Amino acid sequence: MHKTAKRSTRALAAGTFALALALTGCSSNNTNNANSNTANGGNASPAANAGNASPAANGDDNAPVTFSVFLASPGQTPTEDNKILKLIKEKTGVSFKTELLVGDLQQKLGVMIAGGDYPDIMSGDDKLLNAKAYIPLEDLIEKYAPNLKKHYAAVWNQIKDETDGHIYVLPSYGVYQGKITEPTYQGPGFWLQKAVLEEMGYPTPKTLDEYFDIIAKYKAKHPDMIGFESLNFDWRVFPLQNAPEHLAGHPNDGGVIVDNNKAQIFADKDISKTYYKKLNEINAQGLMDKEAFVQNYDQYLAKIASGKVIGMFDQHWNFQDGETSLISQGKIENTYIGFPLLYPGAEEWYRDRGAVGTNRGLGISINAKDPVRIIKFLDQMITEDWQKTLQWGIKGEDYEVKEDGMFYRTPEQRANADQTSWQLANKITTMFGYMPKIQGTYSDGNAADAGTQPQEFFDSLKPYDQKILKAYNKKTWSEFFKEPKENYIYFPAYSIVLKDGSAAKLAQSKLNDLQVKYLPKAIMASPDEFEGVWQDYVDRIHKLDIKAYEDRINEGIQQRIENWSVK
Amino acid sequence: MSDAVLDKQVKTQKTRKRRVDPEIGVSLSWKTLKMQKQLIFMSVPIAIYLIIFNYAPIWGWLMAFQNYRPALPFGKQEWVGLQQFQFLFSDETFMMVLRNTIAMSFINLVLGTVTAIGLALLLNEIKAKFFKRIVQSISYLPHFLSWVIAAGIVATSLSIDDGIVNIILMKLHLIKEPIMWLSEGKYFWGIIGASNVWKEVGWGTIIYLAAITSIDPSLYEAASMDGAKRFQKMRYVTLPGIKATFVILLIMNIGHILDAGFELQYLLGNGLTVDWSQTIDIFVVKYGIAMGNYSLATAAGIFKTIVSVILVFIANYIAKRLGEERLV
Repeated sequence: MHKTAKRSTRALAAGTFALALALTGCSSNNTNNANSNTANGGNASPAANAGNASPAANGDDNAPVTFSVFLASPGQTPTEDNKILKLIKEKTGVSFKTELLVGDLQQKLGVMIAGGDYPDIMSGDDKLLNAKAYIPLEDLIEKYAPNLKKHYAAVWNQIKDETDGHIYVLPSYGVYQGKITEPTYQGPGFWLQKAVLEEMGYPTPKTLDEYFDIIAKYKAKHPDMIGFESLNFDWRVFPLQNAPEHLAGHPNDGGVIVDNNKAQIFADKDISKTYYKKLNEINAQGLMDKEAFVQNYDQYLAKIASGKVIGMFDQHWNFQDGETSLISQGKIENTYIGFPLLYPGAEEWYRDRGAVGTNRGLGISINAKDPVRIIKFLDQMITEDWQKTLQWGIKGEDYEVKEDGMFYRTPEQRANADQTSWQLANKITTMFGYMPKIQGTYSDGNAADAGTQPQEFFDSLKPYDQKILKAYNKKTWSEFFKEPKENYIYFPAYSIVLKDGSAAKLAQSKLNDLQVKYLPKAIMASPDEFEGVWQDYVDRIHKLDIKAYEDRINEGIQQRIENWSVK
Repeated sequence: MSDAVLDKQVKTQKTRKRRVDPEIGVSLSWKTLKMQKQLIFMSVPIAIYLIIFNYAPIWGWLMAFQNYRPALPFGKQEWVGLQQFQFLFSDETFMMVLRNTIAMSFINLVLGTVTAIGLALLLNEIKAKFFKRIVQSISYLPHFLSWVIAAGIVATSLSIDDGIVNIILMKLHLIKEPIMWLSEGKYFWGIIGASNVWKEVGWGTIIYLAAITSIDPSLYEAASMDGAKRFQKMRYVTLPGIKATFVILLIMNIGHILDAGFELQYLLGNGLTVDWSQTIDIFVVKYGIAMGNYSLATAAGIFKTIVSVILVFIANYIAKRLGEERLV
């Protein structure tokens, strides 16, 4: 009895000791891994290493392989037996282990960077760029990816990182070929409900006064409606902050306006004051939604989805989820049309030619085991055949072809394409959003996807929408806005990278904090208090190191003019 | 009390001969170590666990004295001394968030404790088991909601459109028109306090109820014999009976006085209330993590830790001087 007891304690002790060893062992392993990662990250030319280390470079190109992917947007994972993923696997041997964003992006990135724990492929991000988490791609593209090389040829300089001249991220949007067709407008505008326009006899407001006049008249008849809506939540502050630059005839450059290649903030300028004073007035008239500045994004969308909001200033993509909900409720008359309002004398520049999102797309991480295979895969995907499959779908299933070679969809195919559950099984929407893609038209004249094929677009509209468009004598929604001017070389200024922790970034952040705090205050103040609040706001802005911010943007503009110009 | 002191003196006298540490009461010789080797072995994994997860990360505190850039090797980091701390304490926003943090924490602490003890006392008096259980279940269920959902519920009930709070106040004719609760800084702390009570009161009650059940029933009988009524029994038996629990919990909570919370303030706060709603944690996320300034975030973290440790020791010392139970 005594002996057994002793033996069992000894066994226990041994066990715990083993556990302890295992624990320490694990931890030292991890540190080693982390070290090798950082070492790799610090290396100036990991691409060369990557080239050597890739077994598949000379082997079978279609051998089964699984890439881990991180995409910085929430979304739904395609179903297991997704048609497109199956096809990709069949034709290229590639399958994915995709991680979509859950929760806060910055937090997720922080954890990834701290642990050096990167998947093979990551969507582009400034923070990851700063952490040197991507490998340079230009050599890989030159060697293994002729199609990508061709695709990006016109913007080759532009997609290089400003700091060291390497290409880290393959941009997903903004590279056009053929003709640019864009029937739905996604950018900024002053929006009004179609039902409102219909009842008021299809007016076309051109100034703030005309616009709010429509809202006032409609609300007088329908007191239940919410007049003008706005949003001031988290990073989605542009519905409140960006209107002045558009009213004054500037394109969307973010927090600055640029004249003659010289950037300055506009938050404290008269173009801002005029706009917010107007909002202050309409708030006094009870036209402004009282809760606009205390609500979160979900509440904002819920309000739009309720069909009670007459109008707002926003970017279309930002409230589109609300519209989608309206459409699914069958309340198509409560969806919106955007108008380009202007100050007297200003020249319209709401629509812009989407610039290449230099750091929005896909990059290959320093942890990727086989970068060559990845770049070869992406190179395959940018061919027209694959693009048609990814964007339009599969011929005969998702679209049909007319005798003259133009693609179209049957009503049934259109209905399918609108359904989320169908999309999850038949498209790879989220992932494709980050992939290099053809925009504009293919060499056979078809638009890149069903949404931009003009005839297909008009045919796909509900009769109500067709009626409204006919009343305005237009064919597409974007025709409410002027054709975009040629972009400045530097465009857009908001994509100029502000270094983490720099004075410029700090100033920008503090400026944003002031706007978030003072603009609602100014708008909700009683009209005779407006001047005081505004003065206080402007004084506080001038206490910040705004010059650091402006200088950094101007420096970026100069760099772009030098480096991006096609020589 | 004096008995205990006497006991201790006797013990020390006895042990002096055997060279025993008076505090631990056990001799620290190799012989005893050997005798207790099983115990020592069993504590090794715990010690290793603590070293790896609770002490090794302290190495990261060095970050606070650097201008830390991720992925750079340690040797190449730039050392900046106390610059991060200087930035913290010279920044007026930080002073504001410090005030908010302490205020909201204090409100939560007082409201949370008072309501929890109150509910525990009341529940203890209820003799109908079924009713008692229902009340308890209902009051602690919100604890299991995440703050995201809870904040949604709070925001909805405070809404001016058809929020229940405004509806009730209107029906009671306490207010003439709906109040925008979330747009005024002066309401914010109160809303946070009330939300915390709503969500956590049932949970906090459990521990006090447990403490109450451990009170010797004969004390109540004796009190009854002496003619004590219900409230007198609560006042003179139950409350002193849970005093030790209360003090220990208070000391532990004081260590968290700089953790006023993050989620609720982040989710309910907005531009209009930012001067009252921002806490240290939000500040750290905004100016530290989100801007890639990990050094600043670490500096704020160190500040929080040091203040917390000091507060715990002060509370502990006071408890000791007052002759109460204490933590250390």
